[in-house]
Amino acid sequence: MSTAVNPNPKKPSVIVSHLRLLAAYFRFNLAAAMEYRGSFLLQVFGMALNNSAFIIFWAIVYSRINHIGEYGFREVMFIWALASAAFGFAHIIFGNIRQVSRIIMQGELDAYLLQPKDVCLNVLCSRTEVSAWGDLAYGLILFMAVWGFAPGEFLLFCTFTVFSGLLMGCIMFSGEILTFFLGNTTVISRLVTEFVISFTLYPESVFRGTVKWLIYSLIPAGFIVFVPLKIFKLFSWQALGLLILIDLGYVFGSYLLFRLGLRRYESGNLIVGKL
Amino acid sequence: MAFEKRPGDRNGEIFMPIIEVAGLTKQFRTKVKETGLKGSFRSLIMPEYLTVKAVENIGFQVEQGEILAFMGPNGAGKSTTIKMLTGILYPTAGKIQVLGLNPTRNRRQLAFRIGTVFGQKSQLWFHLPPQDSFRLLAGIYEIPDREFRMRVDYLVDLFDIWDLMRIPVRKLSLGQRVRCEIAASLLHKPEVIFLDEPTIGLDIVVKQKIRDLILLMNREERTTIFLTSHDVGDIEQLCRRAIIINHGAVVLNESVKNLKYNYLNYKIIAVKYSRPVSIQIPGIVKLKEKEYETAAISGESMEYAAKIAVDTKKQNLQHVVNQLMGLGEVLDITISDQPLEEIITAIYTAAPEMNANVTES
Repeated sequence: MSTAVNPNPKKPSVIVSHLRLLAAYFRFNLAAAMEYRGSFLLQVFGMALNNSAFIIFWAIVYSRINHIGEYGFREVMFIWALASAAFGFAHIIFGNIRQVSRIIMQGELDAYLLQPKDVCLNVLCSRTEVSAWGDLAYGLILFMAVWGFAPGEFLLFCTFTVFSGLLMGCIMFSGEILTFFLGNTTVISRLVTEFVISFTLYPESVFRGTVKWLIYSLIPAGFIVFVPLKIFKLFSWQALGLLILIDLGYVFGSYLLFRLGLRRYESGNLIVGKL
Repeated sequence: MAFEKRPGDRNGEIFMPIIEVAGLTKQFRTKVKETGLKGSFRSLIMPEYLTVKAVENIGFQVEQGEILAFMGPNGAGKSTTIKMLTGILYPTAGKIQVLGLNPTRNRRQLAFRIGTVFGQKSQLWFHLPPQDSFRLLAGIYEIPDREFRMRVDYLVDLFDIWDLMRIPVRKLSLGQRVRCEIAASLLHKPEVIFLDEPTIGLDIVVKQKIRDLILLMNREERTTIFLTSHDVGDIEQLCRRAIIINHGAVVLNESVKNLKYNYLNYKIIAVKYSRPVSIQIPGIVKLKEKEYETAAISGESMEYAAKIAVDTKKQNLQHVVNQLMGLGEVLDITISDQPLEEIITAIYTAAPEMNANVTES
């Protein structure tokens, strides 16, 4: 009788094995992206250039007015930098976020379900978005250009990037996995993504009433950029810890939603390949 | 799970079931709508749903080291069953145990011990060479480095894919890709491998090569093989036992040898005469007949050939042959079995009453 490779005596813990998988995908996807070197560089620099155009827009706005609520030019650049870096981080690590609805509908989850890894993490990490490197680079450079380079502040910004990236990613992901429950939800998923991006790019003071409630609940742009800005300007460990807890709460919620939806997965017979 | 771990008994042989399925059912809820825009609006306001039974109350066992053919026409429920066995789909009802594990609850543990090749779905990355996909799969299956290198050397040699390992998958032919796919599915030494139409779209030479490889891995590593295929050649050459399902239910479960023996009611007789004759034998079915000119020493003459089917349950074969011999000068006569393909087609298209009989047998 043949003997399966696993379980082996030195089997790593579930968390370690999944972190290793994440690292393996990261290397693998980078290699895959570089298969087309020209396209890779064009996408990265193209995205950074595209984002830069908005700096000019805000520079013109702030040349005419000093503040929008509590937000001056530097604050707006902070939320732009963080939104961009978080978006980039989320799409580098979880490159399949905006493909999940299609993957569910076309029965492509099969390949992930057949592998001995957590389906949610496996499906999200198995691809990377090349242009997201441009978003991440743009966010980090913009932050340093506007706020200067102080190691402590930069480290804090990087921490925000990771957790806001997770939060932003899990909201988009939740929009995508509605497909399990409602069928074809491509339009809703796109809308959720648009909302997340739009709400994180304007000063908090422009949002009032219901929208204000929305940015601290369903589309938590408040926790993605506005609260980090407040913590950045007036740092407290408690506030940072609470923010991270809230972020992880959202992540856990979206993971549960996915597990619930998976029971309703119907697979399919489309002829597909991994690209 | 309520299965008892006990050895089974088939044809006097003791066997240990490696896959056990009982009362397995899968239902899908599908939205139905009338045609046209009006129907779309109605469906939007008052959606109607239909419950489709893809698999209904099926049960079977698979022996360790066995090569089993799991067959059925399109839409019979084959893929749905495989997907439940591998943990992709949740069953609506019933019990499954694969290698003593419940695929729904122990999906990850089971994935370490099974391999899958879906002819219509690739597990290799399209833009990268197989060696990169293999490396990533080693990470996914947590194969230690040294073991991985030895395993790749063995498989690359076995499947003769040395020269393909560094070519991006998109540039491989279908046959080359399938060889790489099967090799990839064996990296982690699975105990059971599910092959869903592995020879689909392949030419005859490559098909034969894939069959030889399947047999080899079954013999060398005693891998249990659960094969679905529409290609009768795959079934005849590889499998000892066949399960046929139709309309979501098992209609036949027996050895390929018995399948031929029990369902070979018909014999096909091809006969050739030196001159045209009229075959009028009651109870036979004339499949084909043809008169044609031939150049003979005495000048041109007409010959006659016919192909007939005899139902041996109703007709005595010797009696029919004697009658044929008496009709004229026979130049050639051959008697052959009904092709397995036709037997399977007959089972697929059989009336429900026949299905019931077949199940009983």
